[in-house]
Amino acid sequence: METKINSIKTQHNKKAKSTSQTRAARVFLKGDDLFACSRCGTCLSICPIYKNTLNEGFAPRGKLSLIEAVVNGKIGFTDKLSEKIYTCTMCNLCTTECPSGVKVSELFRAVREDLIENSKYPEVLDYLKDKIEKAYNITFDTNQGRLDWLKQVPDTDINDYVKPTADVVYFVGCVSSFSPRSFSIPRAIVKILKKADVDFTLLGEDEWCCGFPLLSSGMKEEVGALAMHNIEKVIEKKAKILLTSCPSCFHTWKHEYESLTGKKIPFEILHISQYLLNLVNAEKIKPGKLDVRVTYHDPCDLGRNSGVFEQPRQLLKSIPGVELVEMQTSKKQANCCGGGGNIESLNQALSAKIADSRAGEIIDTKAEIAVSACQQCERTLATALKKRKGDTDYKIKVMDVSEILLESLEG
Amino acid sequence: MKEEHIEYLKEAIGQERVITDLEDKICLGYDSTRLEYMPDVIIRVENSCQISQVLKFANEYKIPVTPRGAATGLSGGCLPVHGGISLIMLEMNKILNVNEVDLLVEAEAGAITIDIDKAANKYGLFYPPDPGSLKTSTIGGNIAENAGGLRGLKYGVTKDYVNSLELVLPTGEIINTGAITVKSVSGYNLVDLVVGSEGTLAIVTKATLGLLPVPKARASMLANFTDMSLAAGSVRDIVAAGVITATLEFLDNVTINAIEDYLNVGLDRTIGAMLLIEVDGYQGAVDAEAEIVKNVCKKNNCTDFHLAKSDEERDRLWSARRAALSSLARVRPSTILEDATVPRSRIVELVEAINHIAVKYGLNIGTFGHAGDGNLHPTILTDLRNKEEGKKVEKAIEDIFVKTIELGGTLSGEHGIGLTKAKFLKLEVSEDAYKLMKNIKKTFDPNNILNPGKLFLS
Ligand SMILES: Cc1cc2nc3c(=O)[nH]c(=O)nc-3n(C[C@H](O)[C@H](O)[C@H](O)COP(=O)(O)OP(=O)(O)OC[C@H]3O[C@@H](n4cnc5c(N)ncnc54)[C@H](O)[C@@H]3O)c2cc1C
Repeated sequence: METKINSIKTQHNKKAKSTSQTRAARVFLKGDDLFACSRCGTCLSICPIYKNTLNEGFAPRGKLSLIEAVVNGKIGFTDKLSEKIYTCTMCNLCTTECPSGVKVSELFRAVREDLIENSKYPEVLDYLKDKIEKAYNITFDTNQGRLDWLKQVPDTDINDYVKPTADVVYFVGCVSSFSPRSFSIPRAIVKILKKADVDFTLLGEDEWCCGFPLLSSGMKEEVGALAMHNIEKVIEKKAKILLTSCPSCFHTWKHEYESLTGKKIPFEILHISQYLLNLVNAEKIKPGKLDVRVTYHDPCDLGRNSGVFEQPRQLLKSIPGVELVEMQTSKKQANCCGGGGNIESLNQALSAKIADSRAGEIIDTKAEIAVSACQQCERTLATALKKRKGDTDYKIKVMDVSEILLESLEG
Repeated sequence: MKEEHIEYLKEAIGQERVITDLEDKICLGYDSTRLEYMPDVIIRVENSCQISQVLKFANEYKIPVTPRGAATGLSGGCLPVHGGISLIMLEMNKILNVNEVDLLVEAEAGAITIDIDKAANKYGLFYPPDPGSLKTSTIGGNIAENAGGLRGLKYGVTKDYVNSLELVLPTGEIINTGAITVKSVSGYNLVDLVVGSEGTLAIVTKATLGLLPVPKARASMLANFTDMSLAAGSVRDIVAAGVITATLEFLDNVTINAIEDYLNVGLDRTIGAMLLIEVDGYQGAVDAEAEIVKNVCKKNNCTDFHLAKSDEERDRLWSARRAALSSLARVRPSTILEDATVPRSRIVELVEAINHIAVKYGLNIGTFGHAGDGNLHPTILTDLRNKEEGKKVEKAIEDIFVKTIELGGTLSGEHGIGLTKAKFLKLEVSEDAYKLMKNIKKTFDPNNILNPGKLFLS
């Protein structure tokens, strides 16, 4: 069941370093951390990539043994190593469940940075980097379309949405800004913010990619400038709060930006699910009745990687009539949707298989709506559920927390 | 291995199933002992015919073949010490059927242990052997190691549940042996010979396993004692009072402190030993047995006794036991886990000896395990990169084994002899019995191609 990955970048440019020259590379500094892996195999029972391939090279235990082999000089930074290391959803379940406390994802990030330095990385990353460097987003050639999704919000006066200053800045994120399938999320969010009379603004063209796709691929160097720009733009707005709807943007803002820039961020960073709950609790908005059985899928970057488990659930429970049922795995142990870590562009079949497993967990709950708080998870799960159409006698809808909240507000 | 051999295998089994990349070989060249030996070639099989083909060829050209399940073994069983072929069983993982009348489940060897239990659960049944690794280990690996678990005292170990097997012999023949009946005396009991043979006699490809109805009720209890002898006294008295508990686990002071350091769940750091006890069955019987257990522990001066009142409380009690190994593993970079086993009546002596040995070599050893089975897990916390300390660890292990045998015990309760304990086997097994074992091996595997270098010193 070998799986294919798009061709690995193997250009041996003049600057490429031999293994001996990369002695100072990051993985070499991680000897003790690497040695702590006891090869007990716990990660094999949870890693979504391993479970769907039964290929030890894709399991955290296997990857760690490969990194150790690099450190011990048994192999260099090879194409095969690269293929294995990049075949990962970055869901991070292995790190939280490792009995020996190995900081698995830190090690993976270090080796990715080494692979980048040695020009051994999937070709799509060049494309991605190029886009972000030229247009400051991950999809389009220019950054001008950042607000295209807004055009369909009724009575739009752009000046209502992009203001010189505001209490709150909503950072929409590349996917929701450019991918029509996800437009409904920012639309729902701005509608709710309006209903609650929040003084908010968008950044429009001044919003640049948060840098997460580069950071997680091992291109840390490129992200500092993006971070600096985004922080400054929010400061210019004199905002007290920055909101994101994308969990990966949230994670990057909240847990990476300060260390990347060495700058203290002078405003609060909240995920939209946290902020919306605050609005409900402060009675700025009052959810109406929705009689429906829902389940909640924890996005890896919001839940496990940022510790936000409760607020989205409380938000759902604040809607009268909503019955929240948990899936077989949830919160810290929640399985990944299969859409993380570039895996979709590297190996679509594998991504779909992982999504299918999670779809099965959703179906088992007999929920009518699967709610999440991430545009990527929602897209991946909706596709997977569609393929499973015959498995239930009713249609399971996939919604963002903001969308279901809006539905309850509009009655 | 010769290039032409690999070419032949690719031709016969399929290009994509025969893998020679160095990176893949590295990932398949270890198990949970953390020792490393690389195969020359990896073959991912999906049916018995392929295995038969591989073995016939390997037998003809005398190429070593080592079966590999999930590589959670703790004695180095799946390591290809002489290179050759690493036979990956993971894709043969189908659970073929559950027979709820005859209480049987039929599964391929690569099926994961917990999946077999889950398949049975759908019918109100369960598969009793529950090794700590059950979420990862394969049933083939369990059969090869005769794996035990937490429920051994009442429910026994893997061998008690294997009814029949499909095997591929080292010479390539595919045979079925055993019977799916409750009893059978037709010829030699080859099933029991293969169970626990550590992949040295035959490749297990399919197994029919016994199941039991899930008990209706259970009660979990915890008891603290100032020292190990009082805990062991309780173990003895519980059994003497006619109560066969489902589980009877103990943790020593080093282990308790490691768990507290890691989880901070409020365990008493000063106690010498803790017992975790579970009884199961019908509610009335469970209540009565729990009462007896409580009285016995009180009579043995337990400093604390606690009966879980809800499932959450039960989970909390067990979380400490479940975290034992991981907590110990966090103390130092390397953990060496042994499974010396003595008669229940000799546990105290073994625990005291282990503590003595720890002091003698200046090592940190935490001990926990299945007190009801006399199966201890002395766990040496060390750093194997330190060669000096490594030598001490080896000496300590030897001392533990010598003492275990002296106490009428056995080198391995459940992890097998494999590679790591081969040099100690003669401590336990007489010269004549050793010879007989070698002859059995020769009868199955005349060319010594199947998992060579294990059990016996070559
Ligand atoms: C955290 C942890 C906890 C553990 N807890 C327990 C426990 O409670 N009780 C216990 O008994 N063990 C325990 N073990 C040890 C180990 O999990 C068991 O020995 C298990 O049975 C090994 O299964 P595996 O699939 O990983 O086999 P592997 O390690 O892959 O192989 C083990 C042996 O079986 C052979 N083998 C594998 N498949 C086949 C086959 N199809 N046919 C023939 N031979 C085969 C191999 O050649 C090897 O000799 C534990 C291990 C770990 C890491």
